[in-house]
Amino acid sequence: MTSPSLGFRETMLLGLAGLASFIGLWSFLSVSGIVPAQFLPGPLDVASRFFDLLTAPFAGATLPAHLASSFQRYAYGVLLAAAIGVPLGLLMGFFRLLDDIVTPLFDGLRFIAPIAWVPFAALWFGTGIGGPIMIIFAGAFPPCLINAYRGARFVEPRLIEAARMLGTPSTRMILEVLLPAAVPSIIAGLRVSAGLGWQSLVGAELIVAAAGVGFMMVQAQGSVQTPTVMAGMIAIGLVGMLIDVLLRQGEGWLRRRRGLES
Amino acid sequence: MGSISFRNVDKVFGQGTGGVKALDDINLDIADKEFVAIVGPSGCGKTTCLRMVAGFEAASAGSVLVNGRPVTAPGPDRAVVFQQFALFPWKTVRENIELGLRNKNLPVGERNDLVASALKLMNLETHVEAFPHQLSGGMQQRVAIARAYVLDPEVLLMDEPFGALDAQTRVVMQEELVRLARHNPRTVLFITHAVEEAVYLADRVAIMTRRPGRIKEVLDIKAVRERENWDSHARIEDVMDLESFVHLRTHIWKSLREEKGFKDV
Amino acid sequence: MAPVASRKTLIGGMTVIGLVMLWFGLTTLTGLVTSARFPSPAEFWLSLKQINGRGYAGSTLVSHAFHSLKLVLMGFAVAVLTGVPLGLWMGWSRRVEAFVNPVFLIIRPIPPLAWIPLAILWLGLGDAAKILVIWFSAFVPSVINAFTGVRNIDKPILEAARMLGTPRWRMVREVILPASLPMIFTGLRLSLQASWTTLVAAELVGALVGVGFVLNMAQQDIYPGMILVGMVTVGILGWVTTLLLARVERRALAWNVAARD
Ligand SMILES: Nc1ncnc2c1ncn2[C@@H]1O[C@H](COP(=O)(O)OP(=O)(O)O)[C@@H](O)[C@H]1O
Ligand SMILES: [Mg+2]
Repeated sequence: MTSPSLGFRETMLLGLAGLASFIGLWSFLSVSGIVPAQFLPGPLDVASRFFDLLTAPFAGATLPAHLASSFQRYAYGVLLAAAIGVPLGLLMGFFRLLDDIVTPLFDGLRFIAPIAWVPFAALWFGTGIGGPIMIIFAGAFPPCLINAYRGARFVEPRLIEAARMLGTPSTRMILEVLLPAAVPSIIAGLRVSAGLGWQSLVGAELIVAAAGVGFMMVQAQGSVQTPTVMAGMIAIGLVGMLIDVLLRQGEGWLRRRRGLES
Repeated sequence: MGSISFRNVDKVFGQGTGGVKALDDINLDIADKEFVAIVGPSGCGKTTCLRMVAGFEAASAGSVLVNGRPVTAPGPDRAVVFQQFALFPWKTVRENIELGLRNKNLPVGERNDLVASALKLMNLETHVEAFPHQLSGGMQQRVAIARAYVLDPEVLLMDEPFGALDAQTRVVMQEELVRLARHNPRTVLFITHAVEEAVYLADRVAIMTRRPGRIKEVLDIKAVRERENWDSHARIEDVMDLESFVHLRTHIWKSLREEKGFKDV
Repeated sequence: MAPVASRKTLIGGMTVIGLVMLWFGLTTLTGLVTSARFPSPAEFWLSLKQINGRGYAGSTLVSHAFHSLKLVLMGFAVAVLTGVPLGLWMGWSRRVEAFVNPVFLIIRPIPPLAWIPLAILWLGLGDAAKILVIWFSAFVPSVINAFTGVRNIDKPILEAARMLGTPRWRMVREVILPASLPMIFTGLRLSLQASWTTLVAAELVGALVGVGFVLNMAQQDIYPGMILVGMVTVGILGWVTTLLLARVERRALAWNVAARD
């Protein structure tokens, strides 16, 4: 049997011990010179670099400015993915023919890592804002489509029958029966999309962008400025976490409102 | 040897003001090779009693003794048959039954003999290499019983073992358990909420009150059964028609009915 | 069921044929899409012949593909061999969970691709850096799913094993591990996917060989035919490895009802 739950105190102490070992090991490796400080700066160096970057520009902008331009692309890409993926998924869930047409295409493209779209994205939409948006789109699109599709396809048949019996036309059927029934699934898909989109954004910026956190990190890598690279990682992690927390809150709020959970 | 004793046993789940008292001053002695059934309203603490004998829960006060020694941990001397079977889905019927014997480090030859006789006892010989999900509920429960019996435990603990079976399978299993228990008696603590089942199977039936559970009454069935010669009837429905059986059953029912109160029946 | 299935195949097949015709029509026949944007079927074929014959970006397609495949499998293996045991251990022991969790919570939000610059700084453009980033990216799903697998084991199953007097090591090998195996495989699927994404990204950022490198060179040469070759290769490699993993899973989980449907 798994060991019984721990008390609050023990959990905290063990957690702190874990954190301390992690930071201790990191500091030890860098301070002792086992790994040259140039390649592994200590936690304090990284933290101070992080705060420097809040005001001092690097690769053309401060960290908040880089984050802002990253976030702009990210928002466009994810919104576009949702705006196309969700309606298409719903329609596929309703119209069998569309389902039969799109599914094989989708299955064929599914195995191509989103990041492999980079060359075409750059070719078609340039490296400014269009290319990265397309890559974010490629990452965020599948969960939007799949979850909307599943949500609509596996709606309780009785609901649809009841609506049919009442003579509901197709448009109204989609908007007033399938969409509401699929909302929980769609929301879950959006949350996954948001995560994958953020992931793709980083990849896109490492490769093709001329601004943004990823770009900043690549520039720092080129000039062997490890603290800046690590500060960028922290910033990306923080924003990613923030996005996830906000979406979770939104999801919880929506579920409560629909009375799905107490 | 396999006696069980509950001595002034209390059980409280949770701590402080949030604690729930599940059992209140339970006293019960089960003799070696005796078959005792506990009946009671749901949530009264029957499962908790059994889990304490098995060693999955500790008493909050008082003591639970097996052969006069306090229970500290689970072990193969107290085999459990779970309501939901709890078979290992990735092991075949044979492997499920074999595990306990392997844990005892028995020599392979002896082990195979024991498994073979357990398979035979429970009529499982045609399903030796099947996985649990390929078996019906009744078959799965046979495997669970075989897995327990093969250990030759001093004490057999059964928690509503037939609760998840359909009515017909249930009757068959009840008859088989009676056959097993009379031929090869051992100490059994049997939990159920089906009154007929308890009267049909057990030597004594303990009735519990609603939560916090106490032992309200213990009925001696064995005396009646032997006096009226129930075991001369092969089929459960013939036994259930006997006046002595009906009398005991009705008595327990009334007793339980008082417990539940009319509002939550 | 048969008519439904054949209807699906029919429509699917027609879609694919339609798409190929559309491709041919838009590029070769009408020239609506110029070859600077997307290659025509003939150009795609020529690129394929070139990379298979003379080679492109330093070697032939097969050796690029094998190199990438090798790195993915190595990184994936390292991640699985470290991640699954850690996840099982965290699931088994609340203490280990409490110790590791905060560190995990800090590192986990960093997207795997964000490790690429650091890996290149540390290990250069060679294979070691790729394996390191694949490890980071494939590690997390392996840990989380193995952990969840252990925590979701039916309690009665564990109690049954304890009741039977199962010793510790046998408990891990014959109860905990098989019981969490369905979840572990879910983790492996995600890990494999993450491995490919990360490898392609890492090779696009900097490499000397591999499918990502082919894509990178083709992008710089503005060579759409070769870009398409690279993408198709990435897709096929991802598809084949996923298929292989699914076969292993079906074998390992033959006892599992859910996995058989
Ligand atoms: N692990 C537990 N934690 C908290 N309460 C429990 C736990 N196990 C049982 N209980 C409570 O103790 C009471 C008795 O439970 P149980 O023994 O399962 O009853 P029965 O088997 O008679 O239906 C119930 O009210 C139940 O909610
Ligand atoms: Mg119970």
